[in-house]
Amino acid sequence: MVTLDVVSEVTGTVWKIEAQVGQELSPDDTVLVIESMKMEIPIVAPQAGIVREILVQEADMIHEGAPVARLEV
Amino acid sequence: MSDEKTTRDLLSQLEAVRAGLMDEQRTEAVKKRRAQGAMTARERLDCLLDDGSFREAGGLVQPDRSNVLSRKIEAPADGAVMGVGRIEGRVVQVLAQDYTVLGGSIGAVADRKMVRLIDCAVDSGQPLVMMLEGGGHRIQDGMNAAHFAAASPVFNKLALTSGWVPNVVAIMGQGFAGPTAYAAMADFVVMIKETSTMGMAGPALVKAGTGEEIDAQTLGGSRRQADQNGIADLAVDDEQQCLVAVSRFLSYLPSNSAEGAPVQPFSDPVDREDEELLDLVSANGREVYDMRRVIDIIADRDSVFELKPGYARNMLTCFARLGGRPVGFMANQPKRKGGVLDVAACEKAAHFVALCDAFGLPLVSLIDIPGLAIGPAAEDTGIGRRSGRLFYEMATATVPLVSIVLRKGYGGGYYAMGGGRAFNATAAFAWPSAEICAMSIQGAVDIAYRKEYESAQDPQQSRQAMIDAIREQTSALHAAEDFGIDDVIDPRRTRQILIETFNTCAPRRPDRSPPRRRSISPI
Repeated sequence: MVTLDVVSEVTGTVWKIEAQVGQELSPDDTVLVIESMKMEIPIVAPQAGIVREILVQEADMIHEGAPVARLEV
Repeated sequence: MSDEKTTRDLLSQLEAVRAGLMDEQRTEAVKKRRAQGAMTARERLDCLLDDGSFREAGGLVQPDRSNVLSRKIEAPADGAVMGVGRIEGRVVQVLAQDYTVLGGSIGAVADRKMVRLIDCAVDSGQPLVMMLEGGGHRIQDGMNAAHFAAASPVFNKLALTSGWVPNVVAIMGQGFAGPTAYAAMADFVVMIKETSTMGMAGPALVKAGTGEEIDAQTLGGSRRQADQNGIADLAVDDEQQCLVAVSRFLSYLPSNSAEGAPVQPFSDPVDREDEELLDLVSANGREVYDMRRVIDIIADRDSVFELKPGYARNMLTCFARLGGRPVGFMANQPKRKGGVLDVAACEKAAHFVALCDAFGLPLVSLIDIPGLAIGPAAEDTGIGRRSGRLFYEMATATVPLVSIVLRKGYGGGYYAMGGGRAFNATAAFAWPSAEICAMSIQGAVDIAYRKEYESAQDPQQSRQAMIDAIREQTSALHAAEDFGIDDVIDPRRTRQILIETFNTCAPRRPDRSPPRRRSISPI
């Protein structure tokens, strides 16, 4: 199984998790939303894949570059 | 009967030599290319150039035979097919490296040919187009001080093209070392996904030098070099798309900076209004939207050509046309990192501003920016210094500039994007949804008035009252009242206003530089 980590582009707080484990995603589909700079910024799938793991929980503080989900690609 | 050859005999001899350079007689080389699924150098030239327009120079050269290592090598055209051709009628100076000749390595004679080609481009004011595929310096020539000590003037020459003629590089396959170094001097670099590579050295040299093992695509494929590092401007799917991209890039630019950018006939009405603009950009600053869609709506239909679409995606840089006139759009992309200006976005925009300014393309700056990037990660990228490059290029540019604040015009980022009077813009506009101030209103209240609202009877209500009061004075209308901007415009009329502004303004804003020798970029 080839996996790919989805990483956060920004530092902020996990606002809402939109994707579910097992869900098939297309490139640019939203995985979760980070609240940063008073905005709701979507973190999207960089390529097509199936969500195997969500690595954060809502309200978690995360840093830019941190993995937030793992896709099987 | 005389043994002397006639001119006809000599001509036949010449034609035989010339025919030996062509694909028809180089069957083994062509077979190898077919096996690799790649075009030959001459096929690439045929595909890029107008039919029958190519006139070769230096096809008859032989490699440097004074070098003991090169006495017996076969190197048709010394591995670099070059000359003059036309792209959509326009003359270009063009070169295609031949990968079937010693792996596309750059021999001593090929280097002289390249220098000559660049001289021709500079002297004639014609675009330079190089289709590169090879491993850099040819070992046989490189390991010879008689040749190498003199070094090549190629980079000195390439620097002369900068800002004078468009300089385009297509990395058609392997492009470690030499091709990457040439590409660093180009205005536009295009790669082929899963095929092209770029980098200072390929896997073999990396392993020899550092012991690290890595495959070529992981080391220097388009995902790393176009999307992650931005050293290529575009990654496409195949060779044909690669050459189409070269042609399309050039279509927005003049042959040299003394000429005007090529205006094309257009059918899209100047006064076309699109209701979608009223819904696309939410006045609620928390919501994101796709700024690329805004550009697509405003510009002439199907005229948008995005540069570096995979790199620093929080900043959009696009060539497009407005009423047939080529222009450059730079825009914050709220969908990505909220549209913040980080180092990558600043450098992407700065290079684009310089490119448009060099070739006379007016700039449209669409502003929706929460600010410059902050925090330790941003500081570690050197943003305090490297963001200066964008300010510098904005200050240096003299092409017409129109700024439009769609929503957030916050902080130093608003200045950097050319908002208001920051850089003597030709015109400064805002949409009614604009909010222009030093930082986010909530942030300002929390920093400056926390003690005050926390001591109130109802802190939440007090905080909200402060936010509402400040919001009143950050509106677009308030910005126009003190003439910080020229007007608040109906989003639907943006296209028409831009076209009319560029139709009526001078082709350059005044250059107010003092009589200095040169300016110095912050980086």
